[in-house]
Amino acid sequence: MAASAADVRSILAIPEPPVAGSSQPTKKPQGSERAKKPDGIPRELYALIGPHAPTLAAQFTKPRLKQKPNLGAGGRVKWEWRPFKNGARSDGLRLSHWAKAGTDTESEYQFAKYNVQGTPYVYTQDEYTRLLEDSSWTKEETDYLFNLVREYDGRFFVVHDRYEYPNGPRRSLEDLKERYFGVCRKLIRNRPWIGDEAGKKAVLDSLTFDKDREVARKNYVASLEHRTPEQIAEEDALYLELEKLKENERRFKKDRDELLRTLCGIESGLPDIHADEDGLAGAAFETKRKKKGVVGSVEPQTPVTPSANTVISLPQPQPKKTSAKSAAYDALHCIVRTEVDQTSSSTKAAHVPVHLRSYKVAQPKAALAPRVSQLLGELGISHTRLVMPTRDNLAKFAALIDAAQQLVEIKKAVDKHDQDIQTTKARLAALRGETVEEGDAPETPMDVDDGAADADGEGDGRAQSVMSTRSARSRRQGRRSMSVSSVDTAGGPNKRQKQR
Amino acid sequence: MQSTSTKPNYGGDEVAALVLDFGSSSLRAGYAGDDTPKAIIPTSFGYLEEEAASNGDVSMGDASAPEGEQLQAPKPKAKLYIGQNGPSLWRRGMHVANPMNDGLIQNFDTVPPLINHALSEVMRCNAAEHPVLVTEAAWNTTANRERMAEIMFEEFQVPAFYIANTGVLNAFAAGKGSALVIDIGQSTASVTPVVDGFVLRKGLQHCALPQLVHAHARHLLTSPSSNRPGIQLLPHQLIASKMPVDVGVPPRFTLREDRIAGTTDSWRAWAEAHEVDEWIQSVGGCLVQGWNEQFAQQQGPRHYEFPTGYNNYFTGLERFAVGEQFFTHSTQLQASNPNLPKTIPALIMSSIGQTDLDLRQVLLGNVVLTGGGSLFAGFADRLATEMSRQFPHVKIHAPGNPTERRYGGWLGGSILASLGTFHQLWISKEEWQEHGKAIVSQRCK
Ligand SMILES: Nc1ncnc2c1ncn2[C@@H]1O[C@H](COP(=O)(O)OP(=O)(O)OP(=O)(O)O)[C@@H](O)[C@H]1O
Ligand SMILES: [Mg+2]
Repeated sequence: MAASAADVRSILAIPEPPVAGSSQPTKKPQGSERAKKPDGIPRELYALIGPHAPTLAAQFTKPRLKQKPNLGAGGRVKWEWRPFKNGARSDGLRLSHWAKAGTDTESEYQFAKYNVQGTPYVYTQDEYTRLLEDSSWTKEETDYLFNLVREYDGRFFVVHDRYEYPNGPRRSLEDLKERYFGVCRKLIRNRPWIGDEAGKKAVLDSLTFDKDREVARKNYVASLEHRTPEQIAEEDALYLELEKLKENERRFKKDRDELLRTLCGIESGLPDIHADEDGLAGAAFETKRKKKGVVGSVEPQTPVTPSANTVISLPQPQPKKTSAKSAAYDALHCIVRTEVDQTSSSTKAAHVPVHLRSYKVAQPKAALAPRVSQLLGELGISHTRLVMPTRDNLAKFAALIDAAQQLVEIKKAVDKHDQDIQTTKARLAALRGETVEEGDAPETPMDVDDGAADADGEGDGRAQSVMSTRSARSRRQGRRSMSVSSVDTAGGPNKRQKQR
Repeated sequence: MQSTSTKPNYGGDEVAALVLDFGSSSLRAGYAGDDTPKAIIPTSFGYLEEEAASNGDVSMGDASAPEGEQLQAPKPKAKLYIGQNGPSLWRRGMHVANPMNDGLIQNFDTVPPLINHALSEVMRCNAAEHPVLVTEAAWNTTANRERMAEIMFEEFQVPAFYIANTGVLNAFAAGKGSALVIDIGQSTASVTPVVDGFVLRKGLQHCALPQLVHAHARHLLTSPSSNRPGIQLLPHQLIASKMPVDVGVPPRFTLREDRIAGTTDSWRAWAEAHEVDEWIQSVGGCLVQGWNEQFAQQQGPRHYEFPTGYNNYFTGLERFAVGEQFFTHSTQLQASNPNLPKTIPALIMSSIGQTDLDLRQVLLGNVVLTGGGSLFAGFADRLATEMSRQFPHVKIHAPGNPTERRYGGWLGGSILASLGTFHQLWISKEEWQEHGKAIVSQRCK
């Protein structure tokens, strides 16, 4: 260590400074040296090279550290170790601490103000006999409870932990709270209240305690906690399965919507098809409309987009002024007018140019086209060429394509459900292997009445029983729901979802 | 009042209080506001009886030894050897005793000398000038804490005194008001639910598990196995010279024959326990994912050399079997020993099972791991594995700093005794004289 300065000097061929070992703080020479130290050279560097500083360094602007904040500005603060009085104490204990000299010695201790006590509720013997008698509590025990609550500042968990009334019955936390808050409420109600009614009500509200509700809640929490790992696993598995079903459902419905739109919506003029992907009502509505649309009119009513490849266009008639006369005229000349939806605000969307019918020959959906054409081929129908594309023919053709597509879809659905049944069966077999009673679960209200189950199936406490019966039920219903699913697809999973 | 504006607002106000933390292994003492104790002295002490050989054959420090009062209480006239040069220096005929048992002080006769040594000899301070905060185990008795107050007020003339619970203090040291404190000490392992700074006594669980772990390690070392003979646990104080030997070869050393005769059984037991502890601390460990013989084997052996010069590689199987005692007991051990101390997971389960349902999430989200025994390699991770198997959302606070981990109780006391709002809780000498012993339980809840 000490050698380093000398070493550096000898390496740099700098002559020895007048005093050897300058890194050691020797008193006088150091002082004089330091006095000569030019500004701009760090002290350590100066100690190394001595007074032989390169002249250049001193010419640069002095490198400076960040200015030290000048705290206190008013020079040195004197602190002194002195005793203080703590206002929060009832005795005269004087502890000592460091305090600024000159400040008031007897000033209030700064932490005493945190010593706030809650207002304890007390009652007189008279009040007790008049208002607070309770068959299950003696006055002594009530006193004991109130003392504990005061002692532990209303921390009921601690109060309950320390509650040991000799020869008293076992009290639950809820018992204690009910008694305490009950007494407090009675006291407030029956004492003259200083202040407004709102304040009184607020205080009363803060003291309400519904024991039954609390107990029910606790039981519910307990039942959650006492689920076995298997039950939790089962729940998770079921949840995953549900999510999978929902996802499938969504995809299926989306495909079908697209199909409907292609088939009967824009091209064949079904009234607006909801693009939303959920809702039992929507689906049912659509299905109805679809059937009607296929069988009946195929006139475009509210087309969404004008066909791009229209060649001939007729001027759009004013929709409002379709008089009886013009109707007759149209019928005579086989003119089909599109009705513009009054509510639709976008004029562009409402516009339907004139088009040739043959342009609107129904086409199977691209994804299904190969299978549809295969199907039609099997029936000996060429779907690529429509010899006489009259309106009726087109409608019939569209219906045909639609039917074919539906058939293909149904086949797909059947295959899928078959596979689902397989997996469920496998799972059932696995479960049967472990727990015997679950397999032949007796009929429960769940099976009989879906609605009732929906209503009270929300409690997770019941969730376990719901789970097991549900899996049993879904097995039994497997066949039936499969045949239904393609028609009323949105219904099943929705119901199941509610049961959860 | 003026100072509130300039002072950082952490609520501290140091009054130069002293903090004393009694553990079975060591007594920790220091100034409140510091982050490590100034004095750490062994709780075990040596003593020489004035009239020699009254009842010489006594075994000390052995967990299984029956509570013989006369063993723990050296004659009042006996000469005591306390501190770093206490029991660890060999003296002819010196016995070793420990005032603690089951985490509580059983014999108060030697408590004043111990405290005096820590405060006067090591810290060089005068207790009469400082308020003193002492720690206690959560299962301490009223008589015990009153006795402690008496010692501090009457013998040390302290101006103010407070006794606080190690569970609560450990929670404070971790910065928590509510916590589930898991403390693995030398003699006891405990699980303490703390809510708002109060111990929930009904959920308190403790047992002598660390002693079982120690006994297991000792058995493992001293009993011969297939690949080595039983190891002699001779301390270096009894060895005159030794020769370097190869791994696994019987040691070549010469005993200090002169000392053998003058060595008491209690000193011998203390020294051997020390050797076992040393071995545990350097090679012992816990498997993080639970017991798996193959995996333990794969962890590889560790080399260790005993004072005799005997050295060997200890396989993963041996090393991890020691820490495993904290978590599982083999069925044969259970069968042969009906009142085996509970394992850590069992302690936690019974503790949590006693607490209110609404509290469980709070406690499990604030698990504090503390105590020297938890410094086992892999202990904290193993605990996390075990707990997450039982409970869905567990968060374990385990200080990585070994001092903080081992002396968490002291650190919490240091924090508490330097809080401005705490100073109203001290039992002052005046109050002690006025109210007597009853004030201790009134004030320190
Ligand atoms: N690195 C380590 N690995 C394993 N054990 C250790 C380690 N360090 C210390 N220990 C053990 O920790 C124990 C001491 O812990 P601690 O200081 O918390 O106990 P204590 O508080 O004195 O005792 P108690 O709480 O039982 O009264 C000793 O038994 C020691 O062997
Ligand atoms: Mg301890």
